[in-house]
Amino acid sequence: MNNVWTISKLTFREAFSRKIFLFFAGISTFLLLVFLAVFLFTDVAALFGSVKINGKELSGSNPAVAAIKLFILNPLYGFGLFLAIFSSASFIPHMLEKGNIDLLLSKPISRRQLILGKFFGGVAVVFVNVFYLVFGLWLMIGYGLGDWSVDFLLASLVITFVFALLYSLMILLGIVSRSSVLAMMISYLVFLILSPVLSSREIISTFLNSEIFSAVMNFFYYVVPQTSDLGSILNSIALGNPIESYSPIIVSLAFIVAAIEFSVFVFSKKDY
Amino acid sequence: MNIVEVENLTKIFSASGKSGAVKALDGVTLSVGEGTIFGLLGPNGAGKTTLVKILLGIVRPTSGNAKLLGEDVSHYKIKSRVGYLPENHKFPNFLTGEGVMKYFGELAGMKKSEIENRIDPLLSLVKMKKWKRTKIKSYSKGMMQRLGIAQALINNPDVIFLDEPTDGVDPIGRKEIRDILLKLKNEGKTIFLNSHLLSEIEMVCNSIAILNKGKLIREGTVEEITTTKEIYDFEIAEGSATDILAKFGTAYSLVAKGNAAFSGKFDDVDRLNSFIDSMRGAGVLIKSVVPKKVSLEDMFISVIEDSEGGKNE
Ligand SMILES: Nc1ncnc2c1ncn2[C@@H]1O[C@H](COP(=O)(O)OP(=O)(O)OP(=O)(O)O)[C@@H](O)[C@H]1O
Ligand SMILES: [Mg+2]
Repeated sequence: MNNVWTISKLTFREAFSRKIFLFFAGISTFLLLVFLAVFLFTDVAALFGSVKINGKELSGSNPAVAAIKLFILNPLYGFGLFLAIFSSASFIPHMLEKGNIDLLLSKPISRRQLILGKFFGGVAVVFVNVFYLVFGLWLMIGYGLGDWSVDFLLASLVITFVFALLYSLMILLGIVSRSSVLAMMISYLVFLILSPVLSSREIISTFLNSEIFSAVMNFFYYVVPQTSDLGSILNSIALGNPIESYSPIIVSLAFIVAAIEFSVFVFSKKDY
Repeated sequence: MNIVEVENLTKIFSASGKSGAVKALDGVTLSVGEGTIFGLLGPNGAGKTTLVKILLGIVRPTSGNAKLLGEDVSHYKIKSRVGYLPENHKFPNFLTGEGVMKYFGELAGMKKSEIENRIDPLLSLVKMKKWKRTKIKSYSKGMMQRLGIAQALINNPDVIFLDEPTDGVDPIGRKEIRDILLKLKNEGKTIFLNSHLLSEIEMVCNSIAILNKGKLIREGTVEEITTTKEIYDFEIAEGSATDILAKFGTAYSLVAKGNAAFSGKFDDVDRLNSFIDSMRGAGVLIKSVVPKKVSLEDMFISVIEDSEGGKNE
């Protein structure tokens, strides 16, 4: 446990030193400034057809505020994860570089602990950055619309969870291929294409009318990380609405555990 | 106690891409006792690095046993007592010299205060203290190597593996590194040295082994390995070497080495003794018979050639 903590800490510090943090925080700040400009120079509430804003009367249940939050959440989810994947894709390939991995493996740290440390360290890096972004937006919504409901802050946890899901896949791909480009491309493929398509598999199936196809789609739906469904859950949580189905969360947890375990298994067999 | 114990160790790297499977180690058996400086020699690709990596759990053996500090090498915890300088090491290049020391101290599971206490003495030992706060990006090759040695000592290890430690280091630096190794040995540490710089090995190692194409072909003390069993130097007190050569030269392939000295090659001790008997019979007064010493380099080359020759037959 101690070793996992050490590796997490060193991963965190490494991200800091490699300026990954700076890059992430810089783009987050830019994004916040864009939203700030939108808030300052347009009458956001009016844009969503609300009645006159009188601070305290608004709440999360107010349809106008809810619409604004949704308007913010979707790009936040997309951008946040896009950046997170980009920043973390090199963590494992960096670790596996010749001359570096030899030294790591010669230390009193097991290969399992190395992987777990990299996992938690990477998740912590992304959480800090995502929290910064979400917290900034929360302040804007608070000052701009008078809505201070803390549910919105939970978005940072959900986005980090989705990252953890994709990151576990990237760790596996990184261990198997040592390539950060491959890890990044597959993650984007899942996040931007596969998961959205699979999550609307029922609609697609009605057009195709093939049972085998539906079964195949169903299979992949459960095997591929369900980032789209988690995106819907993000909206529910951040707006303080009840969650419709917990299944994506449970399936994702199982995916993370399986991907990490499989990474440990492959890693343990390899020579460096 | 033996610090390193390897028994019938074999490593086959499975085929990957274009290259076929490689037998990097082929039934190697050896042991390294406590407090020795052990030198592993061999030409490029002999399997030296592979052997060290197996001992450190970086490469998994295909078959055979490997023990470090009395534990099977799969036990990762013993490595808190081990130091390692890999060949072509690569430290995180955003760190300073001091940062590298801290980084590896933490990885070795040391406490912050312990690490702090060891950084300065170790950096002084390798003459790198004034570069302590410089980013290692700007270090020269020799400086990186010195830092690498300091890093390998951060956790005050009982056994230290050094893979080509003097690679890229200038002659003065090499001498300094040799002195460090001898100092460590006097502190009771065990050192496992991989090198092809034979003169260096000869100067510091008590015990050596020669590896070629994954096979251990010689093992022993430097003394044992550099003394050939077949060639003897003779000195005589009375009589003339020219006379002896004229008499026995062709029978024993003798070579003159001045008036009262010559050398000869003998396949076994019996033949040596019958030669001595003949000389005594001829009234020669023998002063000394000494097995000839060759440099480690000559021995290395002839041993490798022999083993290659054996394969070709
Ligand atoms: N990870 C690996 N995968 C495949 N083959 C490998 C691997 N590591 C080493 N080999 C092969 O094993 C053999 C022994 O290599 P090794 O690095 O142990 O030699 P060495 O004695 O250290 O050589 P050098 O003096 O050049 O450092 C070589 O043929 C090498 O190509
Ligand atoms: Mg080598």
